[in-house]
Amino acid sequence: MGRATNSSSSSIDSSSHPTVSSASSFPRLKRDLSTDLSLGLSISTSDHHYCPSTPREQQSDWPPIKTLLRKALAGEGNKCNDATFFVKVYMEGIPIGRKLDLFALDGYHALIRTLDHMFSTTILWAEVDGVLHSEKCHVLTYEDKEGDWMMVGDVPWELFLTTVKRLKITRVDKY
Amino acid sequence: MAYSFPEEVLEHVFSFIHTDKDRNAISVVCKSWYEVERWSRRRIFIGNCYAVSPGIVIRRFPELRSVALKGKPHFADFNLVPEGWGGNVYPWIAAMAMAYPMLEELRLKRMVVTDESLELISRSFKNFKVLVLSSCEGFSTDGLAAIAANCRNLRELDLRESEVDDFSGHWLTHFPDSCTSLVSLNISCLASEVSFSALERLVGRCPSLRTLRLNRAVPLDRLPNLLRRAPQLVELGTGAYSAEHRPEVFSSLAGAFANCKELKSLSGFWDVVPDYLPAVYPACSGITSLNLSYATIQSPDLIKLVTQCQNLQRLWVLDYIEDGGLDALAASCKDLQELRVFPSEPYDMEGNVALTEQGLVSVSEGCPKLHSVLYFCRQMTNAALVSIAKNRPNMTRFRLCIIEPRTRDYQTLEPLDVGFGAIVEHCKELQRLSLSGLLTDRVFEYIGTHAKKLEMLSVAFAGDGDLGLHHVLSGCESLRKLEIRDCPFGDKALLANAAKLETMRSLWMSSCSVSFGACKLLGQKMPRLNVEVMDEGGRPDSRPESCSVEKLYIYRSVAGPRSDMPRFVWTMKTLS
Repeated sequence: MGRATNSSSSSIDSSSHPTVSSASSFPRLKRDLSTDLSLGLSISTSDHHYCPSTPREQQSDWPPIKTLLRKALAGEGNKCNDATFFVKVYMEGIPIGRKLDLFALDGYHALIRTLDHMFSTTILWAEVDGVLHSEKCHVLTYEDKEGDWMMVGDVPWELFLTTVKRLKITRVDKY
Repeated sequence: MAYSFPEEVLEHVFSFIHTDKDRNAISVVCKSWYEVERWSRRRIFIGNCYAVSPGIVIRRFPELRSVALKGKPHFADFNLVPEGWGGNVYPWIAAMAMAYPMLEELRLKRMVVTDESLELISRSFKNFKVLVLSSCEGFSTDGLAAIAANCRNLRELDLRESEVDDFSGHWLTHFPDSCTSLVSLNISCLASEVSFSALERLVGRCPSLRTLRLNRAVPLDRLPNLLRRAPQLVELGTGAYSAEHRPEVFSSLAGAFANCKELKSLSGFWDVVPDYLPAVYPACSGITSLNLSYATIQSPDLIKLVTQCQNLQRLWVLDYIEDGGLDALAASCKDLQELRVFPSEPYDMEGNVALTEQGLVSVSEGCPKLHSVLYFCRQMTNAALVSIAKNRPNMTRFRLCIIEPRTRDYQTLEPLDVGFGAIVEHCKELQRLSLSGLLTDRVFEYIGTHAKKLEMLSVAFAGDGDLGLHHVLSGCESLRKLEIRDCPFGDKALLANAAKLETMRSLWMSSCSVSFGACKLLGQKMPRLNVEVMDEGGRPDSRPESCSVEKLYIYRSVAGPRSDMPRFVWTMKTLS
């Protein structure tokens, strides 16, 4: 790709993940991807959107929407040059899901706060006391790389990010 | 025997005539009316800055106070016009600085405005009051600082949808303490944080402020203070509409909104948190215009908000509203006149929301005053379009964008010719139309036959051949602007209707089949048209004349070919 590869990313083939190797040229990259890379885990570019967006979106002249709206929908904060990691979030009983950028959060507490707002409910997870309330509240689970549904919060945040595929918020009584 | 009213009488009578159309009409009655009119005209609108030169305007109208100019073609909004194309306002500012020291208002759209231009404006016009920069670019917050500092009587500063080099929010502090005249401030397109205390003080000392559109960087917890300083606000654009859930912030916000009894228009709502939406409910009964284009919230929350606004006339919203939300809108908002539904995932061909043609049909049934529509969706049927046409013969603007090009009627698998045909047949006052979906030459035949009031037509990925273009150019009597992309239209229709082009403001064609030879011929034969060929791939005359040009922009002009063309634009010269 013509860019200098960072030595820590040498375990990734630069031709299949060109945007990963160029991540080192973005000084404000939030996440240190070297941890993931040294674990030998690859980040599939089909799931993630890297800023700048894919060429199609960058140069896009169809459908005809104006630049400001296009940027706002792409999730660009205005000075966004960081990598993003959007996962789907579903709430039980609601067929339309949301998308959440996990790279924009710095840990489980931020995740829970954000989901509390997004879905107007109280979210229970691993750190909360096991007493289940009778009022309306939900449990946060995630699907991991092996296809299993696990409760959120048991593993360190960094490890969680390498294994989570999507999130689900289930009703307490079902759980 | 020459007999006419004394000039003073004519002047007095003309002072009651304001619209451009009327003014233009009276100016051609006779020479003396032309003279009186040109000396008394104060306001001018120039729809294409290259159609006329600053010198010509100044010579004819020596006493202008208000100038409106448009630069780039409309498709520039969608990245179809390359960087550096033109539309630089500086030559106009320089000329007007000498000729119109009393200039008060400047409204620019799709023009390149440099800091140098802004500085010149701020220094040249002592009584400058209104600056509106709509979809402009080329300036930075330094230029804004000059405007803020030097324009002592500034009433309006509106940067709607412009692209600004945003170095910092510091420019706002350049408004002197003596500035109390602001009526309208729109900084919604800016990225940086402005100084909140400077903003609060500015808002507090401008008692006539009626429009305040904040940018995303103004956090929600700052909004109550601003609103309390401007309870007379009529139009408000919030900043980011999210905060941690704190009851005292909510009640402060709700109280502030309840105190703004004149509010009619709301916008902003970036990053919206549904919990905070009820804070605006006290203001909803007065709201006539609601812009939720950036509000990424789901249908239930949208429905709750929209159904509170019984007097709503204009709604701009993302497709998260879905058919269900549009049903609720149709049931609650009987005064609705304009609806725009934007795509939340424009590049996803699959579709993420339950928004179909049915939503639009519902609104067309339930809202008798609906006359202006912009609708992005993924499926359509001829039957739905026919329903909409029959429901709303009062439609004046109908822009439909089916996201996947060349999409068929999903029920019958036919093209959508009949559906759009019904629109132009039933909606006899239709002024603006944008087409999409699979369309053959038939739809253009319908348009040429029926759309007699149509002024602007946008076409993409449609038609079979030249006949389509010929129908439009020969049939649409009121046509002023035609923009076409990715259609198989070629030379024949264009050359056969060359004279028509002089009756229009402009024609844009990109990725069509117009040959370089035809462009040259058109340029040679039509002295009052500027025929501009755009080709970023190199000189068009380095290829055979039969090769299609990449982009073509034709517009009428009394100023001759322009002199500021970049290297990728060629003008076809007239033979003398």
